Amino acid sequence: MNLLNLSIAQMFDFAAPILFAALGGVVSENAGVVNIALEGIMRFAAFFGVWGAFIGKNPWMGLLWGLLIGAAVGALHGYISVTWAGDQIVSGVAINVVAMGIITYLLEFVFKTTGYSPPVPYFGAAHYRVHIAFISKIPVLGAFSNLTLLVWFSLIAVGLIHFMLYHTVLGLRIRAVGENPHAAETLGVNVMKIKWFATILGSVLAAFGGISLSLGTLSSFTNAMPMGKGFIGLAAMIFGKWTPIGALLASLVFASAQIVQLLLQGMASGIAKQIPLGFYLALPYLLTIGALIGVVGRAVPPASDGIPYKKEG
Amino acid sequence: MMAMDIFRRIFFGHKEEYWWMKILVPITSIFVALIVGAIFIWSTGRSPVLAYKYLFGASGLVPGPYFKQHFAEMLLSSSMFIATGLAFAIAAKGGLFSIGAEGQFLVGAITAAYFGYAKPFASMPTVLHLTVIFAMVMIAGGIWGAIAGWLKAKMGIHEVITTIMLNWIALYLIEDWLVTGPMKANVETGVSGTPYVSETAKLPIILKGTRLNISILIIIVVAYLTWFLLYRTTFGFEIRAMGYTLIYNMDAPRAAGVSVDARITQTMFVSGAVAALGGAFIILGVLFQFPPVFEGGYGFDGIAVSLIGQNEPLGVFLAGILIGGLRTGATAVQLAHIPKTFPSIIEGLIVAFIALQELIRYLLMKLFVRKRNNTVSGGSDEKAVSGGVAK
Repeated sequence: MNLLNLSIAQMFDFAAPILFAALGGVVSENAGVVNIALEGIMRFAAFFGVWGAFIGKNPWMGLLWGLLIGAAVGALHGYISVTWAGDQIVSGVAINVVAMGIITYLLEFVFKTTGYSPPVPYFGAAHYRVHIAFISKIPVLGAFSNLTLLVWFSLIAVGLIHFMLYHTVLGLRIRAVGENPHAAETLGVNVMKIKWFATILGSVLAAFGGISLSLGTLSSFTNAMPMGKGFIGLAAMIFGKWTPIGALLASLVFASAQIVQLLLQGMASGIAKQIPLGFYLALPYLLTIGALIGVVGRAVPPASDGIPYKKEG
Repeated sequence: MMAMDIFRRIFFGHKEEYWWMKILVPITSIFVALIVGAIFIWSTGRSPVLAYKYLFGASGLVPGPYFKQHFAEMLLSSSMFIATGLAFAIAAKGGLFSIGAEGQFLVGAITAAYFGYAKPFASMPTVLHLTVIFAMVMIAGGIWGAIAGWLKAKMGIHEVITTIMLNWIALYLIEDWLVTGPMKANVETGVSGTPYVSETAKLPIILKGTRLNISILIIIVVAYLTWFLLYRTTFGFEIRAMGYTLIYNMDAPRAAGVSVDARITQTMFVSGAVAALGGAFIILGVLFQFPPVFEGGYGFDGIAVSLIGQNEPLGVFLAGILIGGLRTGATAVQLAHIPKTFPSIIEGLIVAFIALQELIRYLLMKLFVRKRNNTVSGGSDEKAVSGGVAK
């Protein structure tokens, strides 16, 4: 693989966790449930994924564990913010803070280590990757010849969620609930059910993101995970104007900014070598703000996004 | 009732039928969180009694051995949590969800470090030197916050995105440029990180034999000023008006002649300036230099502190004391073979139960209002319950 293909492939590796988180946000916020807990859910899933892979001795078990914990934490968020109409942001912050403490606790409890887990079977291993040999020599397209399953999942998920949101009755209901739950209720939509569904699905997607961090290109859990990736995903969701395709493009922008940083840093010579490391590291975030100023304009969330829904009467 | 009335006025500044819920909900949340935390410890085969004994024994919240030391340490760390908590609360009152305290804290810290050691300032008398440092810290942190506000007001970019991005930008520019580059200490002195601040830049100690300094007094004044700003000035009224009408795109205050765009930027400036104070406290009172590796997190904990304190200045102050205490006791829980991040589980659980306040309110209403009604008037409790919980 040449440098171009390698860079593109790496971009998809970087993008996958962000994209999953962003998609999770898209689904749940289209139903009007703000899920700032993406970060915490990713942390839970990243750890439980490694734990599952450690016990089951294969990454599929890890995936299962990760998704289950994601759904469970999502259910907690749903119970607080949908069933009891609690403040969604407060609930999300709570989950993030709990995730911080509880996972550090469990890391020490399960693996008897601080900071990182031992290596486990992961999806980045050669025989878990999707090999498409005949395109490997073609520029650009060749980047897709050796991606991990999780990256493919993330791309497929974009299509599926786009289809679900804009071409199915369920999607119409989700969006109706996010725009005007009271109107949806009068049309016979079970608002609570839809919100619950979107919250759980969104959390499971975020859990995929967590797993792509710890079982994607890495094979272990480090205690710094997910290093703000959930928040970046949230930013990608807003950047992509609450649509799946937009989330994909935004995630690719963030990821490519990171690739640009790595390439510039690697190729720096002459004056470029004099530029301090900090500027390179800050570049992706500066680019993001720049892109937002240049491209996007006002971001308009679904009309009833973040407003707790209380049934009348 | 007189005292209660005054207390209520100080706390809220406005009347509410079941105003005491605003106090009872956090307190109940704290107790339930401690119970759930205990169950968690017990389920992992360790002793919750021992854990809480060590945790609170060293927290500075309850008297015990070495109380003076723990108490001082507690107030020292509380002042930082209160700073970032107030920063979040100020923005939240204006309907802005600022995650930016983390970055503003760092900007405040590096500014304090610079003006603490830089030559022309280092020879000033203490009072003047500290005044200069704090002015610069608040301006720098304020600008860092105002950037996000301005981008929201003028460009319509959501403050959640910009504050997240600004956090990372601050972190990388400070840790991987300033501290390792222009502000690096002289290699010959063997110091890594920035040079140490001069003696005149160190916050005066107010409790002999401890590290407790005037930061706690400063933050008490700032908390009072925050309350005054929010509830006793036109500016504060306009901020709160923006917050109340957030879901209607702040149209009402705009129609009433509030220049919403300017207010957003100003609110974020004030928020950033207060968060930056926390950064100054840690540099001028604890570390005395900006170290090569900075243990952050005060900004994010500030969000939790503010939420536990119901975004009210006095509440934030009390919540900051609690969280500061839990963090001070954190190292001691390791004696019970429990990781020192345990307090953050408790902290998160408290916030979770705060989020569940509809449930807690409902249960508390059932518990208290029914009893009161039964004894006083014997009337039906239906109305009281539905009055407090819009279900």
